[in-house]
Amino acid sequence: MSLYQVQKLIYHVNRDPERRERYRQDATTFVKSYDLTETESAALLHVDVRALYTMGVHSLLLRPFTLLNKVSNDDYAKALKGLG
Amino acid sequence: MPIVFACAASHAPGMTAWTEAAPKQQADNFLGSYRKLGERLAAAKPDAIVALTVEHWANFFLNSMPTFSIGRAERYDGPIEEWLRIPKASVPGDVKLAAELIDACLDGGFDPLFSDELLFDHATYLPLHFLNPNMTVPVVPVIINTLTPPMPTAKRCFAFGEFLGQVLSRSDKRIALIATGGLSHWPGEAQHGKINIPFDKKFLENLITGDHHQLTAYTHAEIDRNAGSGGHEIRTWIALAGAVQSWKAQLIAYEPVVPWATGCGLVEFSQ
Repeated sequence: MSLYQVQKLIYHVNRDPERRERYRQDATTFVKSYDLTETESAALLHVDVRALYTMGVHSLLLRPFTLLNKVSNDDYAKALKGLG
Repeated sequence: MPIVFACAASHAPGMTAWTEAAPKQQADNFLGSYRKLGERLAAAKPDAIVALTVEHWANFFLNSMPTFSIGRAERYDGPIEEWLRIPKASVPGDVKLAAELIDACLDGGFDPLFSDELLFDHATYLPLHFLNPNMTVPVVPVIINTLTPPMPTAKRCFAFGEFLGQVLSRSDKRIALIATGGLSHWPGEAQHGKINIPFDKKFLENLITGDHHQLTAYTHAEIDRNAGSGGHEIRTWIALAGAVQSWKAQLIAYEPVVPWATGCGLVEFSQ
């Protein structure tokens, strides 16, 4: 597992418009530039909120990242239901 | 009187990004009070705003996470969040004041990181949107790590604020000192939306009565348990309490706004 790399990717997409654009143009290629497992890559590519949260992505990285990916407040809450 | 204005204010992305999700009365009271605080800040005619603030992965990552940092940039671009519904701007900095603060810190027993290039996320940009709406007053951000542990203790934050207050009181500039963050909230967590009203009210009481013993006694575990990951941001308020110890604090607004997932407080300090 490489939670550090997952979080670093999200940090880059959230804060850096140039990287964000590259991520939006071709997310599959973009995630390959980080040292990720297949599970982590899949969670990122599918914006799998529950998987990213349970692997330990910081909530203040995850929520802005999911907002960029148009995940509504309701859908975000639904994805985390039962974890609290 | 070089510190001419002081206030503490919560921030939450929902205040601007999904304002209308909140009950209208709560939103109108809180945001109206926020704007009025901004009017009083302007009336104090500050030369600069020193912002005791936090950040949300806008600048620092786990490869380098400073406990205290001071911005020395000429400008701060923000907000980084394109969904915040606040127009982007380049906020002027005050390089000279920032350099004076950094020098004073190093001479006085504090060793902050300094940076000539920082971005603003909603933590700093949203309060400025209400308190410095034209983004004309230059800003010096003083960032406290409340994002990821280990974080500075409440006692250390109070002492840092006390020290900054002493330095700023000798400044030849008129300073507006603001703190931003808190109160209880669990942003983006499974408990997102939870607000601990008793915790918030007790904290506000400690602030308003000037109970510095209680303010400096908050532990990391206690804040984490009772006020959530976002509650750690009360360290900026505690620093402000240290900076203006002889001032009288007044509660301007407190609204536990569930759709904004934050116990939202505004406190103004006056001499």
